[in-house]
Amino acid sequence: MRDALVVWRKELVDALRDRRTLLMVLVSSVLLGPAVLVAVSSLVATLESTAERREVVVAGIDAAPTLRNFLERQAYHVRPAPLDYEAQLRRSVLPDPVVVVPADFESALRRGDSPVVEVVSDASNRRAQAGAARVERLLRGFSRERTVLTLALRGVSVEVLDPLQVESRDLASAQSRAAQFTGMLPFFVLMAVIYGALHAALDTTAGERERGSLEPLLMNPAARWSIVAGKWGAVACVSVLIAILSSISFLPAQWLLRSDTLQAMFRYGPREALLFVVLLIPFAAALSAVLMAVAIRSRTFKEAQASSTVVVLAASLVPLAVVLNPGAESPWQLWVPALAQNVLMTRVLRGEALTWEPIVVPLVGCALLSVLAIAYVARSLRSAALK
Amino acid sequence: MIRVDGVAKRFTVRTAGRARLRRSAMTEVQAVRDVSFTARDGVITGLLGPNGAGKTTTLRMLAGLIEPDAGRLVVDGIDVHESPRAAVARLGVLSDARGLYPRLTARENIVYYGALHGMSRDAAHARAEQLAAMLDLRSLLERRTDGFSQGERMKTALARALVHDPPNIVLDEPTNGLDVIATRALRESLRALRGDAAAGKCILFSTHIMQEVERLCDRVVVVADGRTVADGTVGDLLKRTDTEDFEDAFVALAYGAAAGDASTPVLSSDA
Repeated sequence: MRDALVVWRKELVDALRDRRTLLMVLVSSVLLGPAVLVAVSSLVATLESTAERREVVVAGIDAAPTLRNFLERQAYHVRPAPLDYEAQLRRSVLPDPVVVVPADFESALRRGDSPVVEVVSDASNRRAQAGAARVERLLRGFSRERTVLTLALRGVSVEVLDPLQVESRDLASAQSRAAQFTGMLPFFVLMAVIYGALHAALDTTAGERERGSLEPLLMNPAARWSIVAGKWGAVACVSVLIAILSSISFLPAQWLLRSDTLQAMFRYGPREALLFVVLLIPFAAALSAVLMAVAIRSRTFKEAQASSTVVVLAASLVPLAVVLNPGAESPWQLWVPALAQNVLMTRVLRGEALTWEPIVVPLVGCALLSVLAIAYVARSLRSAALK
Repeated sequence: MIRVDGVAKRFTVRTAGRARLRRSAMTEVQAVRDVSFTARDGVITGLLGPNGAGKTTTLRMLAGLIEPDAGRLVVDGIDVHESPRAAVARLGVLSDARGLYPRLTARENIVYYGALHGMSRDAAHARAEQLAAMLDLRSLLERRTDGFSQGERMKTALARALVHDPPNIVLDEPTNGLDVIATRALRESLRALRGDAAAGKCILFSTHIMQEVERLCDRVVVVADGRTVADGTVGDLLKRTDTEDFEDAFVALAYGAAAGDASTPVLSSDA
């Protein structure tokens, strides 16, 4: 046990002195998440401001005074479309969809010929696309008003038009609605854990082989399991440290949120950050062990990087299973490391209460994986030192 | 005292062969056939042999890194196979691989091994100072080992191997990659360690360089093709081969035995 502590201390000092690597991990994993969050919030903010501006961009409004009258009665401001609106939409310069009114709009309307009004948008222009639904709703309102007036003139009840009334009721709480936007948070935190563990895990195994320091290390009277346990502890600690930093980094990020709605919905306080860290500790430990087990087979750091790519990919893609297959959470998901943490962190973000079972199950899963991987490393250590 | 008694070791290695896509075949290589010798306290024993004679494998078996197929290795009466950790605690090994931790200072490298040998921090630091004085390392002690020269690395690795003041010192080709001055300094250090008869240490080192043996060793064990072929002082070996030059004696002993039949009796002055 004392030997394990000695090894742990040394490996931790060694890993923390590797400033350049730590800096890279900090920039790439810890700062990236909040940056993306702020970027998304500014997108949401533009969507909101377009909705608030109550503006409609119309090409050829002069040909349609009736439509202009309707729009202005709805308290919308009608703005003429620029001439090159198609190009602007394609380049995503114009953030609003454009309503194109034909020149014979008024006469066709009077004749009852249903003039065709186009709503022009670009599916790759997300802001314009988001506004298109609103504009279509507005135009349907115009169309409905015309119908109601026509029917009323002929003495037909308006209810004939609506044999069915549809009303929607949203059950989502403020937090679960925000989870649509904050759903990527767990992903970024998981990435931080992975990249935090990666370098340290490779350095204490393949790096030690490459330097030729593993053979002398094994000529000490320390037991092999205590050497491996010490190394594992140090790698897991570095990984948890990065996880803590990453979880905390989202706290200041929310002050920078540009969208008021998102800011109001996004509840990420110290309690959530703490829960994140608690959920991530078993994952960091298991991942460290697995990375070490993969790397101990490699003779050089470079070789280890190549073979650990599989683990890194798996750990970062497994959580996507939820994205690709939305629906009820299945119990098996809690047994899969990375996926389980993703599921649980999403629950935390949604403001759901965590019970004991979903915490214990991933813990057992991760513990099993760690023990297997660590036993493998301890077994391979001696043959690894000699080749 | 180190006693090696009839050890043998066989490895399976993969042959490159002509197999391009098929899995390459495995062949067996007999690295060590029959090596026996005794290295006494207060004596510098040289393990001399050509490349691939089985020196490094023998020393690795001594350090408990490889299990021998046959034979026994005993350090101060402790069987390496039965209690490897107790045996290793009585050995200071400077192996072929002598990697240091580049982000740690020389002192931290040395103290780390001291702690792994169960020394207290204070004792390990005190010992590091003492070894630094002996090996002329003092100016390097607080520097990170990143930019060290070969000689500086070797000295640090030697200090690391000796941190627990082991009664038996095993060095695997310690002069590899060292210049004349560093080699001389190492020789002085080894003589100093053997030094006073009371605290005389058992020093065993392997090499393929004649001059090293001639200048430093009290006894020589010649190993060739996995077997001990001769054992004695430099003078003994010269006399037995009837030559004036030690290089000639070595060639006669090492390659003569490898070329000749296996029944050639082992020359020994122990008898």
